[in-house]
Amino acid sequence: MLKGMTRLISRVHKAKHGEQHEGQHYNISFQDLKTVFSHGLPPRFVMQVKTFNEACLMVRRPALELLHYLKNTNFAHPAVRYVFYGEKGTGKTLSLCHSIHFCAKQDWLILHIPDAHLWVKNCRDLLQSTYNKQRFDQPLEASTWLKNFKTANEHFLSQIKVQEKYVWNKRESTEKGSPLGEVVEQGIMRVRNATDAVGIVLKELKRQSSLGIFRLLVAVDGVNALWGRTTLKREDKSPIAPEELAFIYNLRKMVKNDWQGGAIVLTVSQTGSLFKPRKAYLPQELLGKEGFDALDPFIPILVSNYNPKEFESCIHYYLENNWLQHEKAHTEEGKKELLFLSNRNPGQLERLCAYL
Amino acid sequence: MAAARLPAFLVLQPRARTLRAFSTSVSPATRSPRPSPSTTERTSKYGRPLRRKALPPRTEKMAVDQDWPSVYPVAAPFKPSVVPLPVRMGYPVKRGVPMAKEGNLELLKIPNFLHLTPVAIKKHCEALKDFCTEWPAALDSDEKCRKHFPIEIDTTGYVSAGPSIRNPKARVVTLRVELSSLNLDDHAKKKLIKLVGDRYCKSTDVLTIKTDRCPLKRQNYDYAMYLLTVLYHESWKTEEWEKKKTEADMEEYVWKDSSSEKNILETLLQIKAAEKNLELSKEELLGTEAVEEYRKSVVSLKNEGDNENTLSQYKESVKRLLNLT
Repeated sequence: MLKGMTRLISRVHKAKHGEQHEGQHYNISFQDLKTVFSHGLPPRFVMQVKTFNEACLMVRRPALELLHYLKNTNFAHPAVRYVFYGEKGTGKTLSLCHSIHFCAKQDWLILHIPDAHLWVKNCRDLLQSTYNKQRFDQPLEASTWLKNFKTANEHFLSQIKVQEKYVWNKRESTEKGSPLGEVVEQGIMRVRNATDAVGIVLKELKRQSSLGIFRLLVAVDGVNALWGRTTLKREDKSPIAPEELAFIYNLRKMVKNDWQGGAIVLTVSQTGSLFKPRKAYLPQELLGKEGFDALDPFIPILVSNYNPKEFESCIHYYLENNWLQHEKAHTEEGKKELLFLSNRNPGQLERLCAYL
Repeated sequence: MAAARLPAFLVLQPRARTLRAFSTSVSPATRSPRPSPSTTERTSKYGRPLRRKALPPRTEKMAVDQDWPSVYPVAAPFKPSVVPLPVRMGYPVKRGVPMAKEGNLELLKIPNFLHLTPVAIKKHCEALKDFCTEWPAALDSDEKCRKHFPIEIDTTGYVSAGPSIRNPKARVVTLRVELSSLNLDDHAKKKLIKLVGDRYCKSTDVLTIKTDRCPLKRQNYDYAMYLLTVLYHESWKTEEWEKKKTEADMEEYVWKDSSSEKNILETLLQIKAAEKNLELSKEELLGTEAVEEYRKSVVSLKNEGDNENTLSQYKESVKRLLNLT
């Protein structure tokens, strides 16, 4: 198995991914992993990266389609929303990461929420919001997210200036014209104000990307969490609706298409979602009526199982890295067996190969 | 008392003995004049006649073309000696077969329809024909029947032998009518369906009203007809409070004044503003072909749900609207 068949070393020329590269793997440098993908990749993929000591993503048709749209975006028009949908394990999150990597290489500002479901469940400490008494803050999640955001967009934070004065409390305030990095620092240091800091960051970015200083990519994984139900409860055990969480409220404003100068890429996923049946994967089922009305009009992009070429390529990749140790793994019957067992589903194939 | 009893018991015994002695003394005298037993009867030394040998079952004497309705004229239990079929029923033991019909309780327990063979039913029909009138020659197809007689009434009568000829189950009346045969406009039809709820079947478009609240069949029939009349007239009326119908009450998705329309309008206005192209007004924007196509795709997506077809249609229409290649 020649390396050239499955690999494509094109660190710089990400823009040149075309249809002829479909099915081939390309490498992501460790530098990018640390900055852009500090919090974005699915956990199993992170384990694979650690094992193989390299991060290789397969170039697939849904991602190529999205890259084509992104290349031809008109930044004067309102931001277009693209939604990846598909069954479990077909590669929605990795397609999202592919597009994030592309935009990072093109020097866009990446606003990546790795899993919106994490914000609507299992939150230990909910504080009453300092900004608006009706809403709730989530300090822990907000501060972790701010840290990751800082590592991803270090160089932008000093360039962008806030356009308003923000008063945190009696002693601290951020003046107009100071860099956005200060707001982020404030949020990381003062955990109580972290959610408000996130809100300010989102507001400023939205306002300023319309001015054309930079291009903004909003990437949310599991966006159906924004319009679903939460499992969080108040002290009197009454349930909290998603819009009563300050972070969700601000994020909903972010994915509306009333700003220009960027794009919004989303995925809807059942994994991690609350109160949705296991087999649900279509956008309307997962988003519900409210979510669909909020996201309308959007471009739905289906992510399906591997086609035969991609399947072959994946098996070759595993064989090259000596991941498949079973003696029958490289034979035709072995491949047929894997094909039958996994039904060409990428997630399932990865889990099966872990045992071989 | 006990002492008094004892002699009585003792007295009885010898009396019984004397009786027995009397009988034994009498019997030899009575035995001799008894006539000799007939040749067919087997006697034993003990004087008790044995039961006769079992005769072969009637099935062996049956002809193949016999008149079966006369064997089983009414509902009767299963008689294995009368039914000439080698029927087996029961759970078999290991390496065995189901039990045969002789002495089979399972065959007795279940209901059998041996009295209702096609030949028997034909005979019944022939007998009933004398009481029937002719079917009208003009009504030779289902559509004509439905066209001229759109309302169908189902009633059941019960006949049984018992102390009273009345049966409370006989008062149930079922009225079936297809809504397409009623003169209803769009609003009336939706209101009628909401009023009747479960009684309407969407796939066959049939409204079924089942009444049994009155004691007599005639009264129930009148009540069912009254219900139909009232439903029809009420669904044509529009009340004041019907104006408050919200989006959640709608049976199907209506695109006009929906949030989808608002969204697309805002988006298009922004696009036009960006291109400094403010000549088109709202109505013109909504009237363009691309928006029409988008409207159709959204309506089909909402009404039919997600599937490959509707989603790809929606995708194409959005791409056209937003001018993406």
